[in-house]
Amino acid sequence: MTMVEKKINNSKVRLVRGDITDIDVEAFIYDITADAKLGTGYGSAIMARGGKTVQEELDAIGTCPTGEAIITGAGKMKAKHIIHVNGPKFHEPDQEGKLRSAITAALKRAEENQIKQLAFPPIGTGFYQVDLQLCTRVLVDAVSEHLKGTTGLDEVLFVALDTREFKPFEAHIGQGG
Amino acid sequence: MTKKDVSWKVQKMMELLPPKLSRQVVLSLVSCVHCGMCNEACHYVKSIPDDPKMTPSYKADQLRKIFKANHDWTGRVAPKWVGAKTPITEEDLEELKDIAFGTCTNCRRCTYNCPMGVDTATVNRVMRGLLTRVGVMPEGVWAVSKDSWEIGNQMGVLMEDYQETLEWISEELVDELGDEKAAIPIDKKNANIVYTVNPREVKYDPRTITNAAMIFYAAGEDWTMPSFGWDQTNFGLFSGDDVMGGNIYKHLEEKFKELSGNLLVISECGHGYRSTRCEGPNWSATPQDFRMESSVTTMLRYIKEGKIKVDKTKNTEKVTFHDSCNNARSCGLYEEPRELLELVTTDFQEMYPNRQENYCCTGGGGAMSMAEYTPRRLKSGKIKAEQLAATGAKIVVTSCHNCVDGLGDLIKHYKLDMEVKQLVDLVAEALVMEKPAEVPEEKPAEAATLAGYKILVVDDEPDMRTFLSTVFEDNGASVIEAADGEQALTLAKSEKPSLVTLDLSMPGKDGGEVYASIRQDPQLAKLPVCIVTGRPELRKLIYDRDVPRPEGYLDKPVSEKDILVNARKILDLSE
Ligand code: SF4
Ligand code: SF4
Repeated sequence: MTMVEKKINNSKVRLVRGDITDIDVEAFIYDITADAKLGTGYGSAIMARGGKTVQEELDAIGTCPTGEAIITGAGKMKAKHIIHVNGPKFHEPDQEGKLRSAITAALKRAEENQIKQLAFPPIGTGFYQVDLQLCTRVLVDAVSEHLKGTTGLDEVLFVALDTREFKPFEAHIGQGG
Repeated sequence: MTKKDVSWKVQKMMELLPPKLSRQVVLSLVSCVHCGMCNEACHYVKSIPDDPKMTPSYKADQLRKIFKANHDWTGRVAPKWVGAKTPITEEDLEELKDIAFGTCTNCRRCTYNCPMGVDTATVNRVMRGLLTRVGVMPEGVWAVSKDSWEIGNQMGVLMEDYQETLEWISEELVDELGDEKAAIPIDKKNANIVYTVNPREVKYDPRTITNAAMIFYAAGEDWTMPSFGWDQTNFGLFSGDDVMGGNIYKHLEEKFKELSGNLLVISECGHGYRSTRCEGPNWSATPQDFRMESSVTTMLRYIKEGKIKVDKTKNTEKVTFHDSCNNARSCGLYEEPRELLELVTTDFQEMYPNRQENYCCTGGGGAMSMAEYTPRRLKSGKIKAEQLAATGAKIVVTSCHNCVDGLGDLIKHYKLDMEVKQLVDLVAEALVMEKPAEVPEEKPAEAATLAGYKILVVDDEPDMRTFLSTVFEDNGASVIEAADGEQALTLAKSEKPSLVTLDLSMPGKDGGEVYASIRQDPQLAKLPVCIVTGRPELRKLIYDRDVPRPEGYLDKPVSEKDILVNARKILDLSE
C-alpha cells in the first residue's frame, strides 16, 4: 500500500508499509552481521521464502565488515537481489558514521549492478537498538543526496513494518530530506 | 582505570541505568538486609542448596553493587564496605549474563517471601534489559528477540504460514462440525471478540486453536483472529527490553482498533497475559482504553451464562492445577481457572503449596529458549517434580504455554506418570454440542486420511517406532522404519516416503545431521519432516542450521491425536 511519494530529479522515492522480504521489488537491503550469517528475523524469512542459495552465496563471500555492503541473489523470492549491509549494532560508538558508510556502500553496490529499484528498511532500529529518528533521517538524507547526482536508480522504496517505523520516515520525507 | 579501559558496553549500560531506577527498583536495591529469608522461596536454592550463587540476594546484588558504585552515597563514602563495584570488561558482562539469565526465572516467589518488600525479579529484569541493549544475551534470546522485532511474533511465523494454519484448522472444523460457520474468521471488522494467541500454538500446538474455535462456535460467538498483531506473547518481558515490549503491545492495540473489536481475548499464556494486560501500556506509554480478558475468564463466563454446555464426566482422570507465575503472582488470576476446572472435571486435586506460593515450572523468564542453561534448569525443577508427584494426578493443568513446555520437560526428566493440558483442552473435551456434529467420529473417516501415504519413522527406540508405526498403519498409511540416521537417509532415497518423523537424539548420526542432509540433498530437500523428540533442548540441533525449518515439531511423549493431527496438517500443506 503506497502512502507517501516524492520525485527527486528523474527518480522517485516512495514510502510503503509491509514486510521487506515479501514486497515486489528488484532488490532490497538486509542488515547482516559481520559473519555474513542470515540468522533469525528477516534472515529466516529470506531463508524460508528464498531457499538456501542466499546463504550459500554469503558463505562464499565469507564476511561483511561494519559499514560495508555485499550483494547476493534472492533465491526464489520476489526480489532478484539482496544487498546485505552491516550497519551499527546495539549502542556501538559512531552510529551515524557507520550508518552513512553502510548506506553509501549499499547504493554503490546497487549502481554497480545496474539495479533500478531498491528498497531500504530502517537499518538496525529494532533488535539492534539503533536510534529510529537518527536512522530514518540519515537514510532519507543520504538517499536524496544520491538521487540528486548521476544514478541508474529509478525508484527507492522505504519500507516500514509498522506505525512506529512509518511515522519518522513520513516526517523526514515530508521535510524535504 | 581510565574511561578508555572500560568496555563501551559498560559505559552505555551505565548511561542506560538511571531511567530504570524507579521507586520500586531503588527500594529493592537499598532495603535488602541479607537476612536470607527468601532463600527457601527460590526453586534454584531448594534444588541446588549448596551453591550460594543461587540465592535471590546474590542475584540482585549484581545490580546492587553497580547502583552503590554509581548512584548511592554509601558507595562513594565506603565503597569496599558496601560492596560497590562497576563491571569493567566484556568478561564481567558475560558473567552477569549467566547470572541474570541462567539462575533466575523472574518468577517472583522470593518477592512474596521478603519481609522488606524486595522485588528481586524486577531487579533482575533491569539487569537483563541493560545487557540486552548492548548486545549481551544468550543466543536463544537473540534469536527470539530478532524474530519478534522483524517478523512481528516471537517464533518467526510468516504471514503465509499463519494464514495457512488457520485455513487448515477451519477446513477441519467445517468438516467435523458440518457447518461453514465453524470456520475461523480472519480480520473481520466489528466482531465482538478479537482472539490473540501464542505463536507456539500456530507452530507446534494448533490443537489449542482448534479447541478455542470450537468453543467460540458452540457459544455462537461473533469473533475473529487478526492477520497481524496476533501474537499476545511478549519477549520484552523476558529480555528486559521495554522498547520492544511496548512495540509488540502496540501491534496488538493498533490492529484491535483497526478491526473495531469490542473485547480482546488473550489465549492461555502467563507472560502474554501479564505483558498485554498489565505491562504493555506502561512500556508503550499509552493509556489502556479498550477491554481485554484472559480466555479463561471468557470460557468461565460462557458456562455461567449458559452459552455453552459442558459435561464434566468427560474428564474423569485426576487433575491438578499449576499456577503460572505471571498469571497468578503477577496478575492475580488465581480463582477463575480453579472455578472453571471444577466445572469441567470430576476429580480436581490442589497441589501444595499453591496460588502465590506455587513453585515455578522452571520454564519461566524465557528459560525454554536458553539451551545453554538446560541442565541447571532441570536440576532446579526437583522441588517442582516432587510437588507434582505428591498430587497423584494423571494430568497437570496450566494456563500457560511456557508452563506446558517447562512442566513437560520436568515430567520427562523426572519420569513422572502424568501429562500436561490446558483449560481450553478440557473445556473442549467436556463440550456438549447443541447441534451434534453430522460427520461421525469413527475411525474409517480418519483411516482414509492417511491412505496412500508412505511414512518413514526414524527413532532409535524400538518401542517408539512401534507406537508411531501402529498409529500410522491404523490410519491407512504404509510405514517403513529406520533405527539410525544412515539407514534413514538410505530409505528416504530408495523408498521416497511422503513424510518422515525424525528423532533427534540417536547414536551415530544425530537427528540434526540427518535433517540437514535431507534439506541439502536436492532429491530430498522437499521431503516434509516432523521432528519427534524427547529432548526439547536439542532444538538447537535444528534451528542453528542454515536450512529451512521442519514442517512439524512434537515433544515426546506424543499422543496418538497429536501425531495424527500433525501428520495430516503436514501432508495437506506439502501437497
Ligand atoms: S531479599 Fe529480602 S528476604 Fe531476601 S535476603 Fe534480602 S531482605 Fe532478606
Ligand atoms: S525470582 Fe524466582 S528464580 Fe528468581 S531468585 Fe526469586 S525465587 Fe528465585
